[in-house]
This record gives sequence, C-alpha cells and structure tokens, in this order.
Amino acid sequence: MVAIGIVAKPFRGLGGFFAMALDTFACMFRRPFAWREYLLQSWFVARVSLVPTLFLSIPFTVLTVFTFNVLLVEFGAADFSGTGASLGTVNQTGPIVTVLVVAGAGATSMCADLGARTIREELDALRVMGINPIQTLVVPRVLAATTVALLLSSLVILVGLAGGFFFSVYFQHVTPGAFVAGMTLITGVGDVIVALVKATLFGLTAGLIACYMGTSVGGGPAGVGNAVNETVVFSFIALFVINVIITAVGFQVTL
Amino acid sequence: MGGQAEFYGKTLVSIGDAFTRYTSELIRLIAQMSLGTGALVLIGGTTAIVAFLTLSTGALVAVQGYNQFSDVGVEALIGFASAFFNVRLIAPLTAGIAMAATIGAGATAQLGAMRINEEIDALEVMGIRSVAYLASTRVAAGIVVVIPVYCVAVMSSFFAARFGTTFFYGQSTGVYDHYFYTFLSTKDLLWSFVLAVLMAAVIMLVHTYYGYNASGGPAGVGEAVGRAVRTSLITASVVVLFVSLAIYGQTGNFNLAG
Repeated sequence: MVAIGIVAKPFRGLGGFFAMALDTFACMFRRPFAWREYLLQSWFVARVSLVPTLFLSIPFTVLTVFTFNVLLVEFGAADFSGTGASLGTVNQTGPIVTVLVVAGAGATSMCADLGARTIREELDALRVMGINPIQTLVVPRVLAATTVALLLSSLVILVGLAGGFFFSVYFQHVTPGAFVAGMTLITGVGDVIVALVKATLFGLTAGLIACYMGTSVGGGPAGVGNAVNETVVFSFIALFVINVIITAVGFQVTL
Repeated sequence: MGGQAEFYGKTLVSIGDAFTRYTSELIRLIAQMSLGTGALVLIGGTTAIVAFLTLSTGALVAVQGYNQFSDVGVEALIGFASAFFNVRLIAPLTAGIAMAATIGAGATAQLGAMRINEEIDALEVMGIRSVAYLASTRVAAGIVVVIPVYCVAVMSSFFAARFGTTFFYGQSTGVYDHYFYTFLSTKDLLWSFVLAVLMAAVIMLVHTYYGYNASGGPAGVGEAVGRAVRTSLITASVVVLFVSLAIYGQTGNFNLAG
C-alpha cells in the first residue's frame, strides 16, 4: 500500500491542480465578481513585477542583440541589426522575460501570500462562514496575473527594443535610421499578436499554479518555503513548454 | 547593501573552512542538490529539471531558427545556429534560471525555515560558525554541482535542436551535423562553462543571504524565497551580460570563414 501511495502522489497533485483549475473557470462567470480583490491583486502583482521586468529585459535584449550583431557584422550586414533585435525581442526574449517575471516575481509572492493564509487557517475560516475561497481569493488572483502578464509583455518588448536600439547605435555603431527601418522587415503584426497571446497564457497558467500551491500548503514555515520553491519550478516548466508549442503553432498560423 | 556585501565576503572567505572542516555536510549537500529533495525528487530532481528546460529551449532554436532561416532559403545553416546561439546565449541563461529556481530557491526555503525555527541561533550557541556551516557549504556545493548539471544542459539543448530539425522538419542529419561541427568551437564551450560556474556562485550567494536573514514567521519564509528568486534572476542575467561582453568584446571572437 505504501508503494502505491508513493507512485500515486504526483498524480494526485496533478488531479488536484486540474480540479482547482476547473473550479476556477466555473467560478469566473459566477456573480458576484470580487472586483475589489481583483484590483488590489493586479496592483500587487504589478508592483512586485515592475522593477524585475525593467532589470531583466535590458540585459536579455542587449545580450541577444550583441550576439546577433557579432554575426551580422561578420556577414557585413550590420544595418540589419534592427531586424535581429525586433525578431529576438518580439518572438523570444519578450515572452521568456515575461515568463521569468510572472513566474519568478508574481507567482512566488502570490503563493507566499496565499500559503501564509492557509497556514493561519484563514481559508478554513472562510469556508466555515460559507464563503467559497476559490471565488473570493483564487479567481481574482488568477485574473490579475493574466491581466498583468499581458500588460507586462508589451512593456518588456518596448524596453527591450529601446535597449537594443541604444546598444546597437551607441556601442556597435549601427546607423539609427537603418536600425529602425530594419525592425519591421520580418516581424509583423502577426508576431506581436502571438507574443501577446503567449503572455496571456503564461499569466493564466502561472496564476493557477501559484494558487494551487498556495492553497495546498501544509507543514509550517518549511512548508510555505517549499511551496514557493515548487511554484517556481513547476511554472517555469509549464511556461517553457507552452512557449515552444505556441511558437510552433504561431508560425503555422501567421505564415 | 552593506549587510549583503558583508555576508557575501564572510561566506566566500569561509569556503575554505567548508571544504576542510565540514566535508561531510558538504558531500551531503552535493548529493541533495544534484538529485533534489522532497516533492521535487518525484520528478527527477534538479538534473532532470535543468535537462527538461534546456530541452525545451533547444527545441525553440529548431522551431524559430528553421522557420526564420527557411524564409531566406538558408535552412541548412540551422546547425550553425544551434552551435552558436545555444553555446553562447541560450544554454547558460536557461541553466542559470533553472538553477535559481531549483537549488537556489530550495536553499532559501531550507535556511529560512531554520532561521524561523531558531535552529541557526542554536547552532551559534553550540559554537558552530553558522555562516561557514550553512552558507559557505551551500555555495561550494552549488559550484561543484553546476559542472555535471551544465554538461547535461548543453547536451540536451544540442539534442533537442538536432532532433527538432532533423525529425520534425525533415532536414537530413548529414547537413545538420556538417554545419554544427564546423561552427562548434571548443573555446566558446569552455567560456560558457565559466559563465555557468560564475552564475552558480552568484545565485547561491544571493539565495543563502535571503534565507539566512529571513524573518516574520511562515509568511516571511515564502516572501524571502520570492525576493531571492527575483534578485538572483536579475543579478545572474547582469553577470552573464557583462561577462560575455568581456569575453567576446568588440571583435566577437568569431570567424565565419573558419
């Protein structure tokens, strides 16, 4: 029996996650919607994610642009560095930085917050009072993570492109006009839409994972720490997989 | 900031002690970090997670590179893209992110829980130097563990790019291998190992600091983990940026003609 318990444990976790996700989707359309909690959570997630976004997107884009430019200068095509920058930022760096920020900053603080409430038995108290914690706590959090992820990804792309522009023009001596002209050469509206869809899905998934981990915490301070740790790991894994799949699908759709 | 710098200095100075006096603790931590603990062990531990993340980014090289290159009719060069971008950019960054999420966040959670339960104070009372015993051993173990883990990361990113290109997009393996081996340079690979080791050191320092100084009950541990992940992601990517600028510089250390 012990062996069966060990084997079944990850599946039970997975099942619990999907059950909570279904509950969340069902509760999303049920009145009353917790507007106040939604706005507060959006503000909270935006506040913890804003600074990491700025600090992560600049080094990432500069690295990508730098590596691209090394290549392009070798070809004698440095004027196309704008093409490389926009391609890298819109298609890959943008979504990946969004993943890192949403999972590493937003989801962790959300899970820590919910986990602390679970440990203090606030969720049980809500249930006793006849209030569904999924409707009052989980739904607004998941929606807040989704909204903020969507907004953040546009910020990441803008900051990234600006960083790439300054780096190419002032450090690698690319003509500014050529950089701007090259930007829209390969990257079009389709790519931007795919990037935004990706970001929305990232936010949704990370929010669900963080809420599931936060509400199923057990075992004191070490439990909360481990739950946050698992949130980061699982949301990174899920989001990287989503990224590959959407990229492949996006190419089929936009081309 | 001052407190952080002091802690980092102390930790780095005591790494020697960690090797000589706390060898058994060090070995225990290395075993724990490479294979993971708790719930993470069920899905294969740190090594499996790092391998999985780099597999997915390697696949991304195949998907993105193949589609983009076939636009201009040079899809044969995808092997080159794998050898160039994977080694210089994608594998170190992904491995760093994965390490921060698994080993780093795990260390913060452990140390934070110890601090909240006043186990660290108990260690001090027993006359054990807690920074050397807890933080330095973890930093040293992280640096040791990163080498095999990074080998797995690079291999799986190469494998995923090759598999995606040749199997899903139907490019012949001969063409792929030709361009891949032509442009794969030993020097780049060695530098990317240096990058990985540096990142591991920085990540472990940041995470042990936040865990060691956690406060405020169960919620505090969770918050400390979150804050540590944010800080270490930022510092790791800045370190990668400056080190690769220093390594590849203006010339790029790259020669298309071979």
